[in-house]
Amino acid sequence: MLQFSRFVAIRASLAVLTLVLVSFIVFSLMEMVPGDCAERYVAFKNSQGSVITPADIQIERVRLGLDKPYLQRWGSWIIHAFQGKFGDSCILRLNISQLLGQKFWLSLVLCLSALFLAYAIAIPVGIIAATSRNPFLNNSLRFVSYLGLALPNFLLALMIMLFSTVMWGDSLTGLFSKEFRDAAWSWPRFKDFLGHAWLPVFILGWSATAFAIQTVRALMSDEVGKLYVTAAEARGVSGRRLLMRYPARHALSPIINSLGFDLNRIFNELPIVALILTLTEAGSLLIEALARSNDQQLAGAIIFMLTASIVGINFITDVILAITDPRIRRSIVG
Amino acid sequence: MTDTTNQAALDEQKLKEAYFTASQGQLIWTRFKKQKAAMVGAWVLIILILSGIFAPFLTPYDPTIAGRDKDYLNGPPEIPSFCDDNGCSWRPFIYTTERTRSIQTNFRWVTEVKTGLEDRRYLEFFVKGSEYTYFNFNINLPGTKLDFTIPGFTFDTHLFGVDKGMIHIFGTDSTGKDIYSRTLTAVNTSMAVGTIGVFIAFVMALAIGGVAGYYGGWIDSVLQMITDTVRTIPSIPLFMALAAFVPDTWSAEARFFFISMVLGLIGWPTLARRIRTHLLTERNQEYVLAAQLCGAPAKHIIRKHLLPSFTSYIIVDLVISFPYMVLSETALSFIGLGLKDPVNSLGVMLQNVTKADVLLNYQWYFIPVIFFITLVMAFVFVGDGLRDAADPYGESK
Repeated sequence: MLQFSRFVAIRASLAVLTLVLVSFIVFSLMEMVPGDCAERYVAFKNSQGSVITPADIQIERVRLGLDKPYLQRWGSWIIHAFQGKFGDSCILRLNISQLLGQKFWLSLVLCLSALFLAYAIAIPVGIIAATSRNPFLNNSLRFVSYLGLALPNFLLALMIMLFSTVMWGDSLTGLFSKEFRDAAWSWPRFKDFLGHAWLPVFILGWSATAFAIQTVRALMSDEVGKLYVTAAEARGVSGRRLLMRYPARHALSPIINSLGFDLNRIFNELPIVALILTLTEAGSLLIEALARSNDQQLAGAIIFMLTASIVGINFITDVILAITDPRIRRSIVG
Repeated sequence: MTDTTNQAALDEQKLKEAYFTASQGQLIWTRFKKQKAAMVGAWVLIILILSGIFAPFLTPYDPTIAGRDKDYLNGPPEIPSFCDDNGCSWRPFIYTTERTRSIQTNFRWVTEVKTGLEDRRYLEFFVKGSEYTYFNFNINLPGTKLDFTIPGFTFDTHLFGVDKGMIHIFGTDSTGKDIYSRTLTAVNTSMAVGTIGVFIAFVMALAIGGVAGYYGGWIDSVLQMITDTVRTIPSIPLFMALAAFVPDTWSAEARFFFISMVLGLIGWPTLARRIRTHLLTERNQEYVLAAQLCGAPAKHIIRKHLLPSFTSYIIVDLVISFPYMVLSETALSFIGLGLKDPVNSLGVMLQNVTKADVLLNYQWYFIPVIFFITLVMAFVFVGDGLRDAADPYGESK
């Protein structure tokens, strides 16, 4: 038990260290954008009609703490970031946590459901593909997984939009109907959300599913040929029981291990799919922040939170693996 | 009787000899040729690359605003035909179109198609058209002494065209630019972006992964930590953050190079990791130890043993990472952070297609997508085939 908690502690501190490195990259990116917050505020005041001198900008800089050294500002940014405080966006002049709040969780829910969908399809299909000798099934699955790469989510979203517009005259976009957009959560709003969310979840899960099928199939076909499976077969275990008890369990741990990177792949496409389907969540805010208004505080906060959830997933899967996989458990407890 | 058995044995002997004396390149090529899907992919890829390179010849018009057809905005594809109500012709033809505005059209501009016999535009081959140049370099460094220009070769022959007016086999966009010309140029652009991106990523990966794998120890741990961190950040949001730096005042060419560089600067971690792993595993192989025991110097081991075991994997990795570069560029340009007019790429061409107007009325805007799916698919097939072919243990399975 002690060794196990030590393992968890080491993993947790590694995760935090990764996040600190990520925050450094993100913070440096934010800093490199020309123009700082003081200039933005002052420019805003200027547009409101007051006369501005360079001295005013300097005063504003001191007030915002922008005159402090780089590392010190990074330190205070990251301490606040770990508490979930990202300060104000200097372009929108709104609190970022408030602005992101619900939208970020909405995106995370969308992406996690896409990930869940991907494996809900990929695990059975991959196992069947690995064990069947049907060349037609194998070739068509191979084709689908290649298509998953060649037709990335945003192109798929475009194609579905084109198709549905031509066929039904409705482009199937948005996350909520008009009357529910700003309403509080309630049962009808939730139902409305489900009615809209299936398409983004499907589109976000599309590439992930294609990849996951390929991975599951490769892992399973590696395991199926191994001697322990033959030995189990010789003892009289067969059929589904054999597959589930022996090779499937072995094949599962690399899959759990790579969940974080699958989530990464889904996040990758989130902003663009969000833009195409006009979803009102964090992905489209990111595009808004980067492409339109050059709002580095908001963009930095979103990228940091996306990465933090990937690091979080990686940490959780590590711990789950340590609990469920006896091989890894033994190597820790030793 | 004995003669034929002898002959067969001799043939077999020869085959075996050829197999055992073949270089690694030959072996990979033999295995690659056996895979039908990969071979088809390779042919498609070659055709696409060539049509990208020879795009100015294969397409009738300039893909930029200079080649616009002001009489045919948002025009549907024009398919040459041989016959119509006025009879047949041995030469394929299309019809003349004209933009008109009158009281009948409620004073809106409308494209009118004239189907009369005298309005036929006949298809012609090897027509003279807009000029294009190859091997033309214009280097403009600070100071006048360092500027130099290589004029290159200028041509003005195009594969096909029509005797009067213009032909648009994939239709035109909202400014009247020929979508067919733009598509082939876009293929070329994507290949160029991908090549530069893959090259930069490769150099960085080789340096970082090489150092990590060669030295091992704490250097390896630190570099691995950094590599994994960069890998954790979702790459397209990171691309977007970097691409947002490009000021609007930059020229299209400067933008193009910057975007390709950004793609390379972010694409290296996966490659670096693979190079490191290859190096670490290969370094401790028995054949390296054997060579060391025979007294071979390090230089000889690296050149004769490590590099050959390695290059094929790296080439495969490069081919596999290529489509990711192309797709990232498309995604970036699509949201307006990547390339911009007058540089053509699929992303640039798709920029405005989410409008309901386009979705409902101008579906030919989506024709280039087919080309790109084909391009990426071909790359994936070739990459997969190469990976199988480069695996020396692949055959025994």
